[in-house]
Amino acid sequence: MKILTTVKKVVDVELTIHVENGAIVEDGLQYVINAWDENAVEAAVQLKENNGAQTTLVSIGSGDNTDMIRKCYAMGIDDGIHIDDSVLEKADASVFAKVLQKVYEQGDYDLVLTGKQAQDTDSGQTGIMLAEALGVACVSNVIAIEVLDDTNIKVSRLGDAGTEIVEVALPAVITVSDSINEPRLPAMRGIMMAKKKKIQVMDLAGLGTSYDEVGGGSIRSEIAEFMESKTRQAGQKFEGDAAEITAKVVDLLANEAKVF
Amino acid sequence: MAKVLVIADIKEGVLKGSTAELLSKAKAIGAQTAVVAIGSNIESLTAQLANAGSDTQYIADDASLELFSAGPWASCVVDAANQFEANLIWFGFSEGGKAMAPRVAAQLEAACATEITDIDLSGDQITVTRPAIANKIMQKVKVNTERLVAVVRAGAFEADDSISGTQNAVKLAAPQADLKAVIKELVSDASGEIDLADADIVISVGRGAKDQAGVDLVKELANDLAAGFGSSRAMVDSGIMAHNKQVGQTGKIVAPTLYMAMGISGAIQHLAGMTGSKTILAVNKDPEAPIFNVADYGIVGDLFEVVPILREEIKKIRT
Repeated sequence: MKILTTVKKVVDVELTIHVENGAIVEDGLQYVINAWDENAVEAAVQLKENNGAQTTLVSIGSGDNTDMIRKCYAMGIDDGIHIDDSVLEKADASVFAKVLQKVYEQGDYDLVLTGKQAQDTDSGQTGIMLAEALGVACVSNVIAIEVLDDTNIKVSRLGDAGTEIVEVALPAVITVSDSINEPRLPAMRGIMMAKKKKIQVMDLAGLGTSYDEVGGGSIRSEIAEFMESKTRQAGQKFEGDAAEITAKVVDLLANEAKVF
Repeated sequence: MAKVLVIADIKEGVLKGSTAELLSKAKAIGAQTAVVAIGSNIESLTAQLANAGSDTQYIADDASLELFSAGPWASCVVDAANQFEANLIWFGFSEGGKAMAPRVAAQLEAACATEITDIDLSGDQITVTRPAIANKIMQKVKVNTERLVAVVRAGAFEADDSISGTQNAVKLAAPQADLKAVIKELVSDASGEIDLADADIVISVGRGAKDQAGVDLVKELANDLAAGFGSSRAMVDSGIMAHNKQVGQTGKIVAPTLYMAMGISGAIQHLAGMTGSKTILAVNKDPEAPIFNVADYGIVGDLFEVVPILREEIKKIRT
């Protein structure tokens, strides 16, 4: 089985993020692997360990992604492709899906694993749009994957009415929830080995395509502006005798907030 | 004139509140409205769908549509969108909506925006507002296509009870089954319970509840108040609470009138799922817990001590 996992470098959501003049203030930001993609990498490595698979990752984005890709190598990914092209800076999910389609078509993959969304956009579109572009099966928000045979897998999806058990004919795109696994910490031996491994870096021309061909010329949506989030203010906090403060808070809920 | 198609949110044969919320917003911006309802044995909902504010009801009612499957369901939406010539296609916030919206957008070659909290149509330019980076910032997204497929964030729009629509049902042909992804079974763990998405009050438990006994204690309060019963990620990971109870970015995003966080420290992913609530009460032993930064009312204390008192005091007030 040949598995392609997609990995995005995203801003660290644990840090404070400021907006000035409609743009995010870059100063002080740190970048990390998208947590949901890390779950996809772990899922790929587990499939490789349990069922045998060739695992490739692809990351799109301009700038240095070396550390992130080496971390995935250390976790057990075999090969890495970095599509490094600054024209993609304003791309939307539809464009990214078409870039990934080009990567997919050059690799004869059976399965694409990706995080259910990226932590910077929280959009959750690219994986599903990739499946649409490829005309292959797609299941999103998956929490378990079982290989049935060379051409079929069984997945569990968290749906609105419960857990959906779905049999999927390969090739397929599966987007994973963080409930699927706990990504491993790479062992020292893996980290050392990862340093020697090559990363294929290419721009869109190197991939055999162009920004126009992937839809960049007529982009469907674009971010016009960033704004500060309306943050909630901390309200009244009570400490002391449990009976007294609890009665006080219930009184406030009833007479101030008027929720009862 | 804008034409809005709303995808009806139906669970266990019951029409959910988000449908009327979205249709109310559509009427408020002066749009023509239609709704598409997909499922098995749902034709009887037509009058309700009209009352919720739709002037056309596209009904895909077929035995093959009993269990959700993103492919065929998306085909029904595309069919309705094309018949109605909708330029705005709105899903309520649900896992089904999140799975369908990118498919529908790809098939209609339309822009797609998820988790939108507002929409602006001035000067023929569609612009939507949505949170990103775990709610830390907001984005304004400019739509360059004539059509937009959007998933509306829970609690973004309010239902207006004074609006209504007219009954005009259009039957849709049953879509082709997805032979590449076949749903074999639905393991339901929520049947008969109060839906978190619809509940007026949601009470969630976190690590502070420790074990099943702690969960049961808080559950009694939820039962008293007919509240939805949710969970932090920690309690799901430890196997005490079911996956479908998780409130947060992974899981359910809720915006009830009152949210009670019981023994929840307040990880950013949890906060992203509940800070849209009107009033928040937090109970936590740790006075420094981040949950207190978003709570309107905070009780610093052990929930094992506080919850029984809370039940008594609330009973006093409600009688």
